[in-house]
Amino acid sequence: MKLTKKVLAPVMAVAMAASSSVCVSAADDTITLTLWGAEEDQDLLKELVAKFEETYSDFKFDIQIGVESESTAKDTILTDVEAAADVYAFASDQIYDLVNAGALANLDEYDEAFQAVAGKSIADVKAANSESSVAAATVNDSFYAFPMAGDNSYFLYYDSSIVSPEDAQSWDTLLAAAEAGGKKVGMTLSSGWYNAGFFYGAGFTTDLNEDGTTVMDWNGTSASGITGVDVVKSMLNIAGNASFQAVADGDLSNQIAAGGLCAVVSGTWDASAVQDAFGDGYAACKLPTFTVGDQQVQMGSAFGYKFIGVNAYAENIGWAAVLAEYLTNEEAQVARFDARQIGPTNLVAVESDAVKANLAITAVIEQSEFGVIQKVGGKYWDPAQTFGENIAQGKIPADDDAAIQEALDTLVEGVTAPVE
Amino acid sequence: MANQSKDTAAAAVSGFFKAIGGFFSSFGTAAAKGDAFVKLSLLWWGAGYARRKQYVKAVIMTVLEVALILFTFGFAMDYVPKFGTLGTVKPEKVFNMQTMKNEWNDYDNSFQILLFSLFSFVVWFAAFVVWMKNVVNAYALQKKAEAGKHINTFKEDLHSLKEENFHITLLTLPVLGVVIFTLIPILLLILVAFTNYDQNHMPPTSLFSWVGINNFLSLFGGGGLTVSFGYSFVRVLGWTLVWAFFSTFTTYIGGILLSLLLNSKKTRLPKLWRTLFIVTIAVPQFVSLLLVRNFFSNGGIVNTICSNIGLTGFLRDAGLVSTSYIPFLSAPGWAHVMIILINIWIGVPYQMLISTGVLMNLPVDQLESARVDGATPFQIFRKITMPYLLFVTGPALVTDFVKNINNFNVIYLLTENVYTTTNQVMANSQAKEVDLLVTWLFRLTQDYYNYKMASVIGIVVFIICAIFTLVAFNRMIKGDKEGTYQ
Repeated sequence: MKLTKKVLAPVMAVAMAASSSVCVSAADDTITLTLWGAEEDQDLLKELVAKFEETYSDFKFDIQIGVESESTAKDTILTDVEAAADVYAFASDQIYDLVNAGALANLDEYDEAFQAVAGKSIADVKAANSESSVAAATVNDSFYAFPMAGDNSYFLYYDSSIVSPEDAQSWDTLLAAAEAGGKKVGMTLSSGWYNAGFFYGAGFTTDLNEDGTTVMDWNGTSASGITGVDVVKSMLNIAGNASFQAVADGDLSNQIAAGGLCAVVSGTWDASAVQDAFGDGYAACKLPTFTVGDQQVQMGSAFGYKFIGVNAYAENIGWAAVLAEYLTNEEAQVARFDARQIGPTNLVAVESDAVKANLAITAVIEQSEFGVIQKVGGKYWDPAQTFGENIAQGKIPADDDAAIQEALDTLVEGVTAPVE
Repeated sequence: MANQSKDTAAAAVSGFFKAIGGFFSSFGTAAAKGDAFVKLSLLWWGAGYARRKQYVKAVIMTVLEVALILFTFGFAMDYVPKFGTLGTVKPEKVFNMQTMKNEWNDYDNSFQILLFSLFSFVVWFAAFVVWMKNVVNAYALQKKAEAGKHINTFKEDLHSLKEENFHITLLTLPVLGVVIFTLIPILLLILVAFTNYDQNHMPPTSLFSWVGINNFLSLFGGGGLTVSFGYSFVRVLGWTLVWAFFSTFTTYIGGILLSLLLNSKKTRLPKLWRTLFIVTIAVPQFVSLLLVRNFFSNGGIVNTICSNIGLTGFLRDAGLVSTSYIPFLSAPGWAHVMIILINIWIGVPYQMLISTGVLMNLPVDQLESARVDGATPFQIFRKITMPYLLFVTGPALVTDFVKNINNFNVIYLLTENVYTTTNQVMANSQAKEVDLLVTWLFRLTQDYYNYKMASVIGIVVFIICAIFTLVAFNRMIKGDKEGTYQ
């Protein structure tokens, strides 16, 4: 048994504690691993991989890095799981499909091997990251991926020269301030990712069954006692306001640059565009509340993470797990924030001064309190998008409860339809 | 004329079966009447050639036979016996701490079983034909030897491939290509339509299996697919046909008119104009389409102009638009018309090129005599130019129509991420009003991994295209029209 001093002590401790014959031999064989990450991450990954090889210099590695966007990882991987990379980055909403197709390794199964090499347990990794990020990486009580980034959500950017921080607290005051300033508030409604924020805020849920079908209760009454019809009415009131601008999905950046907006619901990826547009007035905070009857309801949001997972069919699966963790540990997350201003999930990294100085990331962390991990199947997106578009265009009359209820019923019917 | 085309079709079909029957009967004769070596050829492919001293051929056939046996037992038999179930063994693994690797059982992969079984069937079918042909050849050699005729040496055989058998030399590669790149994928597609290969049955983790014609039943209203699949299918098919009709004929007529205009003696600088129109072809379609899509998007430049000059307000007052923008590419009706208009802009230059070529070859004597007889330009166009053009470009027109049924580029690039349907029932089937069957099919497979239904729709699209092509070609090209213009 040849191990570096750095990992020797914990290995022995774990080995004794587990009282099992843990023995990873420093074989002469080269350990080949393939790694897929985002285009923008390539330089960082190269650096981290070099460090990884240094850390485990007793082993011979051949690590190939490929480009695969986190947002399209699922499509590429599911085309041929066996040919896909051993370690890959992906967005958290893909985790259910990936687990369902058996493309992700259940990391709990490799805890022992992981401890033997990395010197920490899966439980340690879970404890080091934010609770909600770990929850998002857990499917059916099994831990499937290491959290890498935790800022994949939306919040409110506003121009503080027009909208005061108090105005930004509710949709009513926000829209009034925008009207006074002669500008508009932009938000994407025709997307199941954005428009779900209203429903999640009101206590509605979505969930995913094991067979890939979605559970949705939006046409009923939520746990907070709010009916779906009331939420839709509230959305229709906002969408019908002259100072509100419904923006098509993917068109936000253009609209921000166009300069007609004084506030916009978007995420960290638009930070620099918004900063350019708002100049000195650039500010960000959690999402505003919306009015249901006579009460103010805090908007929720679909909260997403970026993960690094291990292919269940990886040849050197033990080492793949070790590499995946290495690319998401505290140092890696700090390096990623430094390089790309991406919000960390690591509890220590989040507390750093540099992260706190970043307005957008502070806002997204503020919003994370109301964030919901969006558990939906593939049948969710098209009906939810169409539903949002109907609200954006005001196709449903705001005073017709029966029509709203019917639209909600149709939405739920489509979303919860069986996956054939 | 209808009778005539029916006759030719019937003759073609019966001729085809006669040829197959003839092949079998000559094989039967050879196997029954051949000498011992011909009969031995049934087992040892090289026997007949060896007897007639065609040793090189004997060796080649023996090698082929050995290769077939190796292929059968070394490869095909791993998959073909599982073809009936498409596999039963799910993957299981044991983690080995020593090597940090998983040790897997010998699990089945339904897709590999399907693909490699199909490949084996094709190889076996080819081998079967070769085996029969081989016996027929051996018998022919025996006859030649008995009649005392010359039997080709291998060199002479090779030489004949350059002379009287040149067609074999020419066609071997293309036929192989067609089989590997066209026939096998199509057969695979057809087979997948009878399985439950989808998101919940993804190899290698899960297995899929045969489900008979269930997928077709659910497509045609048997229920169970999506809550509104039949509803959406009818509408998507309707728009597909409307689109194919209008896109084909608008560009066709537009191209002809444009080329007539450019060919007219009164047009100045025809070469300049022609070049300008061809420039649109030089720009890759996806670039120009994405640009146009952005021009006409809800917040695009055209909308900004329209709202600045007051057109948007006017249309809203007239009740034609209910939104703060003109939904050029985002509302049904508007988008349908816009797509066809944009397609005219994209497609007319191609058609113009073709028509220009044809117009230059227009029989001048007919035009002259018409003019002498006092025909008006419109009469000449209607009675001479147009029929001639139709006759020459008819086949291209049919092909265009079929191409437009499957015109993925224009529709996908113009509407993806821009067009959001407000029809909830369609959205429940992941369809949009502007979808063609093929773009819908793409989304069903790409986003939802619904391979089985994609195959079913693929087959339906194929049948529609095949029927249309057959009927149209029979109508347009058959008959005595060919003589008219000679």
